[in-house]
Amino acid sequence: MTEFAQAPATLIFDDFVRVYFATRPAPSSDSQYVSYTGFADFDRTDLTKVLSVSKEPILLLGGLGTFDEFGIYPTSLIRDGTDVIAYYGGWTRCESVPYNVAIGMARSTDGGRSFAKAGPGPVLSYGIDEPMTVSGPKIRRFHDTLYMWYVAGLRWTVSDGRPESIFKIRMATSKDGISWVRVGRNLIPDVLEADECQASPDVFELDGSYHMLFSYKFGSGFRNTDRGYRIGYAHSDDLVHWTRNDSMAGIQPSSDGGWDGQSVAYPHVFKLDGRLWLLYLGDEVGRYGFGLAVHSS
Amino acid sequence: MVWKKLGLVFNPAEHQLPGACVDFAQSPQAVMVGETIRIFFSTRERDEGGKYLSRVTYANFDRSFTFLSMAPSFVMDLGAAGCYDEHGIFPLNVLRVNDELLGYIGGWSRRVAVPVDGSIGIARSKNEGVTFERIGPGPVLSSSINEPFLIGDPFVQRFDHLFHMWYIFGTQWLTVEDSSAVERVYKIGHAISNDGVRWEKPSEGVQIIQDVLGPTESQALPSVAAFAGKYHMVFCFRESIDFRHVPSRAYRLGYAFSTDLVNWTRDDSMLGLDVGENSWDSEMLCYPHLFQVGGKTYLLYNGNEFGRNGFGVAELVAP
Repeated sequence: MTEFAQAPATLIFDDFVRVYFATRPAPSSDSQYVSYTGFADFDRTDLTKVLSVSKEPILLLGGLGTFDEFGIYPTSLIRDGTDVIAYYGGWTRCESVPYNVAIGMARSTDGGRSFAKAGPGPVLSYGIDEPMTVSGPKIRRFHDTLYMWYVAGLRWTVSDGRPESIFKIRMATSKDGISWVRVGRNLIPDVLEADECQASPDVFELDGSYHMLFSYKFGSGFRNTDRGYRIGYAHSDDLVHWTRNDSMAGIQPSSDGGWDGQSVAYPHVFKLDGRLWLLYLGDEVGRYGFGLAVHSS
Repeated sequence: MVWKKLGLVFNPAEHQLPGACVDFAQSPQAVMVGETIRIFFSTRERDEGGKYLSRVTYANFDRSFTFLSMAPSFVMDLGAAGCYDEHGIFPLNVLRVNDELLGYIGGWSRRVAVPVDGSIGIARSKNEGVTFERIGPGPVLSSSINEPFLIGDPFVQRFDHLFHMWYIFGTQWLTVEDSSAVERVYKIGHAISNDGVRWEKPSEGVQIIQDVLGPTESQALPSVAAFAGKYHMVFCFRESIDFRHVPSRAYRLGYAFSTDLVNWTRDDSMLGLDVGENSWDSEMLCYPHLFQVGGKTYLLYNGNEFGRNGFGVAELVAP
């Protein structure tokens, strides 16, 4: 792996914090990338200190014709007793549009170093009102129920001759992690335009309420411009109905430029030793890695 | 069983098909509209790149299977870019529910590493099948943990107020020696639903019909009817390599019976319906569809070349 560190997700251990992220080998001769998930372990008492980086991806790509033949990105993890279960976006390539995505599941019995897929197919695939690109899972547990926030594609548009996926934040719940019930509607209202794209719905509980950080952008013309990703915010009392208020997100692109001077994306919040931390991506959606911020109020 | 072949009843070359379609009338699916037998089928047109797109239309017949008229057009458009049914509908399985027709869409969309994938969607018609509207843009039955791809060939019936769907799921893509081609292997599965829209797979990843040609047998187009105190399934099956031009490896009709709709006993020899001699169905039998009208049971099916030259019908004489 040589390029990108995208979509960070954490798993907390006694002495370290493991950050899983998606990374890529150099592109093939026809400029196409595949993605894998690996991890880095950080010192729990000093999150700027990298202890080790995984040598191998945690999952291999799928076999011929399967949903995850061309990429595993992103991955979200949760402990299940002594096991760790992972949900991930599996990518295949299509003829008329560039790709399609469905969500897969895998289980680790060695503390999250290696995983075995639940099967060759996805645990959450396309559905009646989520016709394509079911992706970007974030797995959480509240009140003995598993909640998955994810992203569903509603349509493809064409902008400057290039197909662009339009996707929104969705949610499903499960008791066993395998059988999922979808809410079946967009959770977060648009603020930019009908073609606003929303991603990385990252939910956490704080002070008796639920909070979501996510990223959003315009549906076209967003590459390397100010139409690219920003971090939005919503809150909820019941995990289903959300009130959006981006002014409360509290993080913007850095005004002094640098690696996150143009955009901030793919937030992931985690609690550690009484503090709240935010991992996020900067310009070019993780080409230069991920950064860290701490909650101050 | 004793069947009487009534012969080829629809040859697409003898009719004006919608769009730019000239050949193929595949996977016939019947529904009664008054005294008329309306038979939906998939025909084909080519896209700008020369690849086939399967499109659904219908023809009307009287009760002796004499052709009456063609549909005014296709009954629905193909799906939007990136949708499961963008590149073809094959089959459209039609079920009457009260004053509506439900159409279960076998949708196809093209891939890069393999030719296609498939999922099953739903549409409804309030005008006896002249036009169908999708209930949603995505599928109601798609791939799952142990059914990784190629979900297709829906056949839906209601028994005792429960909707049952028999369908197929892919189990593997085979690479072919000395060729860049890949060939699919698929098996028959079963799903249930209370409302016809939300489906469960109680035996997810389990093929419900045993193989007779080994693990790479492909099974397709299950069709189920109740008569003579049992449930009967007719389907088609073939080898997964060299099945297009080698008649002995091509589709034949298979048969299984059940008393509980869950456990099926396969016995192809009981069907009593095999290829003809020097005729439209002498090399291949495929895409069967059982239906009952006026106390009689009929089987619609395709013959040689997967139905390039149309479909025929057989009448059950003795169960």
